[in-house]
Amino acid sequence: MMETSGKNSLRFFALGGGNEVGRSCHILQFKGKTIMLDAGVHPAYQGYASLPFYDEFDLSTIDVLLISHFHVDHAASLPYVMQKTNFQGRVFMTHPTKAIYRWLLRDFVRVTSIGSSSGGQDDNLYTDEDLADSFDKIETIDYHSTVDINGIKFTAFHAGHVLGAAMFQIEIAGVRVLFTGDYSRELDRHLNSAEVPPLPSDVLIVESTFGTATHEPRANRERKLTQLIHSTVSRGGRVLLPVFALGRAQEIMLILDEYWSQHAEELGGGQVPIYYASNLAKRCMSVFQTYVNMMNDDIRKKFRDSQTNPFIFKNISYLKNIDEFQDFGPSVMLASPGMLQSGLSRDILERWCPEAKNLVLITGYSVEGTMAKFLMLEPDTIPSISNAEATIPRRCQIEEISFAAHVDFQENLEFIEKISAPNIILVHGESNPMGRLKSALLSNFASLKGTEGEVHVFNPRNCIDVILEFKGVKIAKAVGN
Amino acid sequence: MSSTIFYRFRSQKDTGRIMFDGTGLTVFDLKREIIQENKLGDGTDFQIRIYNPDTNEEYEDDSHVIPRSSSVLVRRSPAIKQFSAHGMHRNTGAVGNATRYVTGKPRVFQKKQ
Ligand SMILES: [Zn+2]
Ligand SMILES: [Zn+2]
Repeated sequence: MMETSGKNSLRFFALGGGNEVGRSCHILQFKGKTIMLDAGVHPAYQGYASLPFYDEFDLSTIDVLLISHFHVDHAASLPYVMQKTNFQGRVFMTHPTKAIYRWLLRDFVRVTSIGSSSGGQDDNLYTDEDLADSFDKIETIDYHSTVDINGIKFTAFHAGHVLGAAMFQIEIAGVRVLFTGDYSRELDRHLNSAEVPPLPSDVLIVESTFGTATHEPRANRERKLTQLIHSTVSRGGRVLLPVFALGRAQEIMLILDEYWSQHAEELGGGQVPIYYASNLAKRCMSVFQTYVNMMNDDIRKKFRDSQTNPFIFKNISYLKNIDEFQDFGPSVMLASPGMLQSGLSRDILERWCPEAKNLVLITGYSVEGTMAKFLMLEPDTIPSISNAEATIPRRCQIEEISFAAHVDFQENLEFIEKISAPNIILVHGESNPMGRLKSALLSNFASLKGTEGEVHVFNPRNCIDVILEFKGVKIAKAVGN
Repeated sequence: MSSTIFYRFRSQKDTGRIMFDGTGLTVFDLKREIIQENKLGDGTDFQIRIYNPDTNEEYEDDSHVIPRSSSVLVRRSPAIKQFSAHGMHRNTGAVGNATRYVTGKPRVFQKKQ
């Protein structure tokens, strides 16, 4: 079932993340070496339905699996691959990714098992034991260090996006492929922005989440965020920020903690609490506290100068579960999961959404098919998760201000031009934005058409090959289908 | 007495089983059971194929009967999207996804002339 391509052809094959956001998983084959990039799940689905199309590839042939970052759409099927399939390769990720991965996926196992109690059958993809067993076998790589496994060389670079996120530049027989994973070029409060590797790349596999869209400047978004929250609590409303427990949530907390300190008086001097509700909040925050040295200069300097950890927040308290929450007045609640499928954020949504003075503020990227995406349509009612028969009126305000830390068009184009790879493969985007990005890139590089420097852009669907022909290091021709 | 058919997804190590009464299951019913058992979804974004594990031959005919105690290999693949603007394929049953196994409307297998 698997075509073996010619000796000098490089094959790219998406088992997931092709023309979709979710279940990222890509295969690279060149000179008899096989690499897998990421092993995610699709957040809009559960159980087996959420997996990449693993039946379409012989996983036993994979030499190396590289995980770009800890988000579920990139890492959550890793324990499944390592424990339930005949995969025998070696797995690499950065230290912070590994540290967070463990806690995060435990939470994932729990959340998915709660959501599936109906049929009686356990549709967890893996157990806590599988997770622990896989954890022990994962190897780590430092930023800017290169690992060589039987002729597959790979180097990790900062990707921005979330703590521990890496881009990988892979080199086999002189041909270099750069995989961005999810990446950000914006300097934020705690992370470095994505780096341009010093060596050139022949192939660039790049995310296309935002397609040709443009982000508003960072300062505007911060101002909007804090003003919206401030005005909602001032008129007695409650604010729900559904967040992924780790990653961008910490950036939002840095913003809110500072704002609350600066506006303590107007906010009634501690009368309006901010909660961070996540079962793993405390444990994972210690990871953030540990890895301050891998963040940007600004936050490292703060850490050194003030002798206090910037992730020990003055104005934010932890909430383990909803039972210990005293819901008496205006408050701000950061709760996971970020797309409101089930769990804490969903419970709070169902409690707060009937009231017009309340606000749901979406700051992350919302995948097609999730409650977060549905809310954006401002529906009159939403289905209740505890009672399948019931619907709940939705009168609360819905706003979206993105702090998702993916590049916008301008940032992506600038980066793509800096890499100047002759072959560009677009992944991690819904079909339409990805298609628009492809057209925009082709017209941007139109003047090179027919020359030595011609740029080829591919936007393959899942399980559709891209074959690139190389002669030594020199590119002969590119064929896609 | 209950009968069993064993199935294994191509990428998986473990074998699953479908229990039923009778001497065999049609390909249609077997696919339907596997989809339900594994909660594979509504069928719009994937297709499901089953194979004889010894010969690697695909069981294409929905009405073909797989005898009890057999083993089959299962392959879940992306749906083939129909790009026809006129919806030409809509009524021919040639749609490349698994919805019919979920809705329960078998397609009539067209024998090649
Ligand atoms: Zn991500
Ligand atoms: Zn992602």
